[in-house]
Amino acid sequence: MSRTLRANLVTLVLIAPALLLLLAVFVWPMGYYGWLSLQAQSVFTGLEPVPVGLANWQRLLGDARFWQDAAQTLRFSGVSVGLELLLGLAIALVLHQRWPARGVVRSLTLLPWALPTTVMALGWRWIFNDPNGPINGLLQSVGLATLPFLASPQLAWIAAVVADVWKTTPFVALVLLAGLQMIPADLYEALALEGGHSWQALWRITLPLLRPYIFLVLLFRLAQALGVFDLIAVLTGGGPAGSTESLAVYAYLNAMRFLDFGYSATVMLGMFLLLLLSALLLLLWRRAAEA
Amino acid sequence: MTRPPRELWARRLALGLLAALVVALLLPVSIAVARPAVTIRVLMPAPFVDATAATVDAFNRSHPRLTIAVTRGPFETESVSDLAISSLLLGDSPYDLLLMDVSWTAKYAAAGWLLPLDDRLGPDPLAGVVSGARQGNVIDGHLWRLPMVASMGLLYWRTDLMERPPRTPAELVAVSRQLQQQGRVRWGFVWQGRQYEGLICDFLEVLHGFGGRWEPDLTPGLGLEQPEAAAAAGWLRQLLVDGISPAAVANFAEPETLQAFETGDAAFMRNWPYAWSELQKPGSHVAGKVGVTTMVAEPGQSPAATQGSWGLSVLRGSSHPDQAVEVLQALTGADSQRRLVKDWGNTPTLTALFEDPELLAASPTLPEQLRALEYSVLRPITPAYAQLSDILQRQLSDVITGGLPAAQAMGRAGQASTLLLESTGGEGTGA
Repeated sequence: MSRTLRANLVTLVLIAPALLLLLAVFVWPMGYYGWLSLQAQSVFTGLEPVPVGLANWQRLLGDARFWQDAAQTLRFSGVSVGLELLLGLAIALVLHQRWPARGVVRSLTLLPWALPTTVMALGWRWIFNDPNGPINGLLQSVGLATLPFLASPQLAWIAAVVADVWKTTPFVALVLLAGLQMIPADLYEALALEGGHSWQALWRITLPLLRPYIFLVLLFRLAQALGVFDLIAVLTGGGPAGSTESLAVYAYLNAMRFLDFGYSATVMLGMFLLLLLSALLLLLWRRAAEA
Repeated sequence: MTRPPRELWARRLALGLLAALVVALLLPVSIAVARPAVTIRVLMPAPFVDATAATVDAFNRSHPRLTIAVTRGPFETESVSDLAISSLLLGDSPYDLLLMDVSWTAKYAAAGWLLPLDDRLGPDPLAGVVSGARQGNVIDGHLWRLPMVASMGLLYWRTDLMERPPRTPAELVAVSRQLQQQGRVRWGFVWQGRQYEGLICDFLEVLHGFGGRWEPDLTPGLGLEQPEAAAAAGWLRQLLVDGISPAAVANFAEPETLQAFETGDAAFMRNWPYAWSELQKPGSHVAGKVGVTTMVAEPGQSPAATQGSWGLSVLRGSSHPDQAVEVLQALTGADSQRRLVKDWGNTPTLTALFEDPELLAASPTLPEQLRALEYSVLRPITPAYAQLSDILQRQLSDVITGGLPAAQAMGRAGQASTLLLESTGGEGTGA
C-alpha cells in the first residue's frame, strides 16, 4: 500500500463519524423529502403515499401563495438581518471599549437572545396590543391615535421585524465582538502614530478585518430568518390577510393542519432551494469582496 | 374394609360443595387478577382538564382497576389538534381518548385515526342529545364522536344600555352609533376578526343572517360567489370603516374580545357561552348588566349560531377500546355534564339538563342557549375543511383590513375552494 493511499484511508476513517452524522441528520431527511415531494400523501389518500411524478412541483410553480410567502420571507429576512447587522455592529463596538461595568452590560445584552422565541413573541404581542399595549398607551398619552400594529397588513410585518431584531441583535453583536477581540491592538496604535482618526480606524482596520465574521453571522442569521416559524406563528399566525405568512408557516399548515405531506415536503424543499440560492449569492459576494 | 355406599355419597357431596364454595369465593379474585389495572389516557384542552377534574376524581375513586389519566393540552383550540396530530403521526398514540372540536371530526376520521363507535354505545346514543349538538358526529354513516359540551355563537348585549337587543344588522349599527355618539360606549360591536378559525365562526353567522350559505355541494364556489356572501363580508368591513368596531378587531381572538367587552368599552359582543360566567366574575365592569341572544339577521332571515361543540372520540391506536368507551360514557354522561354546567358555565348537550331547576339557577342563560342551539349551523363537513377554512380566512381578513372589495375576495375564495374540492375529490358531506 502506498503512503498516500494509506494516509487517505486514515483520513477517511477519521472523518467517518462526522460523515455518518451528516448522512443521518441531513442527507437522509433531504432524500426522504425529495421522495415525498414526488408522492401524493395526504388525508385524501388515507395518508398512504401514491406516486404522482412532478405534480407537486408543478403545483408549487403555479401556487401564487408560495411565491407571495417567498417574497414576504425574503423581505422579512433582508430587512431583519440588515438591521441586526447595523445595530449589532454598533453594540459590539461599544461593548469592545473599556468602561466600568462593561461585564455586567455584556451579560445583560445577551438576555433577549436567551429568551425562548415563543415567550418573547407573546410578550411582543402584548406590547403591540391595540389599544391596551404600552406602545399604544404612549401614543395615546401624547394625544395621538392608536395604531393597529398587528391588525394591519402594512404594519404587521414591520412589527415582526422589530421583534426579531430585538431578539437576535445580541447574537450578531456577540459574534462581531469576538471578531473585534481578534484584531491586534498594535494596528490601531500604528494608525494613531501616523495621525489617523477613529473613522479611519473603523473603515481601514476594523471593518476589513471583521469581514469574515460579518459573512459568518450573515450566513447564520439568513439561514435562521428564511426559516422563521415560531415568531410568526405566535405573533400573527400569518395574518392579517396572509401578510406575514412565511414559507415555514405555509409548510407547517400543509403538513399539520391540511394533512398534505407530499405538498408540504415540496414547499420545504422549495424553501431549502431558496436558502441555498441566498447562501450562494452571499458566497459569490464574499469572493468578489475579497478579490 | 370398604365404607357403606351412603356414607361415601355424603362425603362426595360435602367435598363437591366445598370445592364449589372455594371456586365461588375465588372467582372474583381470579377475574380481577385476569383483568389487570388499566389506565385510559385522555388529551383535552387545558380549560376542560380543570372542568372535568371532579368527575375524573370521582370515577377513579369508584373504579379501583380503571384509571383516567388526563393530559393537559394547550389553551388554544387548533394547538390541541396540532399536538394530537404530531403524536398520531408517530404511529402509536399515547392517548386513548381525544376531546375534539366539531370541525376536526371529518379529517380525523378520513385519516383513519378514530374508532367507529357504532355498536359500542347502545341502540341510539344520540337520542338524548339536543339537535344543535347532534350534527357533526355521524359522518359517512358512522358515529365517530360523542358530544360532551355544546357550544354556539351568541350575541352579548348590555341590558343597562338598551331595553331589548337588536334583531337586524342595521339595528345593531344604529343602536351602536347612537350609544357611541352619546359617549356611553367607546365601541359598538366587538367580535373575532383575527385571521384564524374564530373569524370563520363569526362570518358564518353573519352569512346566514344575510341569507347566504357555505356548503360543499353549493355551486358556484360553495355559495361564496353569491351576492349574500359579499354582503355579509362587506358588512363586517363596514363596521370597521364606520368605527362601530375598532380597527384592532382585525386581530381580535376571543380573549381580546372578552377583554374589550368586560371593561364596559362595547355595547355588543359576539362570543361563546363560556364568556357569560367570565363576565359575572369580580373585576368585570358589566356584571349583572349582560344579556345573551342570537346573532342579528336581515328581516325575513333566521338567525344562526355556529356550532362549536366539544366531544370525545376513541383513537384507533388505543389498546383498551372497551375501557376507553366506558370512560367516554362517564365523561359525556349526565352527572359529568351537570358539573360542567353548574361549576364551569358550559352548555350541556343532553336535552333534559336544559330544564333542570338546579342548573337553571346556576346558569340563567340556559333557555337562551337552548334557543340559539335551535339555530345552530355547521361548518362544512369534509376532510378538506381545514383548507377550505384557510382559504376563506385569508380572503375575509383581506376584506376586513381593506385590502380587497368584498365581492372580489369572496369570488376568489369561492373559486379557490371549488378548485380544491375538484383536485382532492373531497366531497363527502356527513349526516
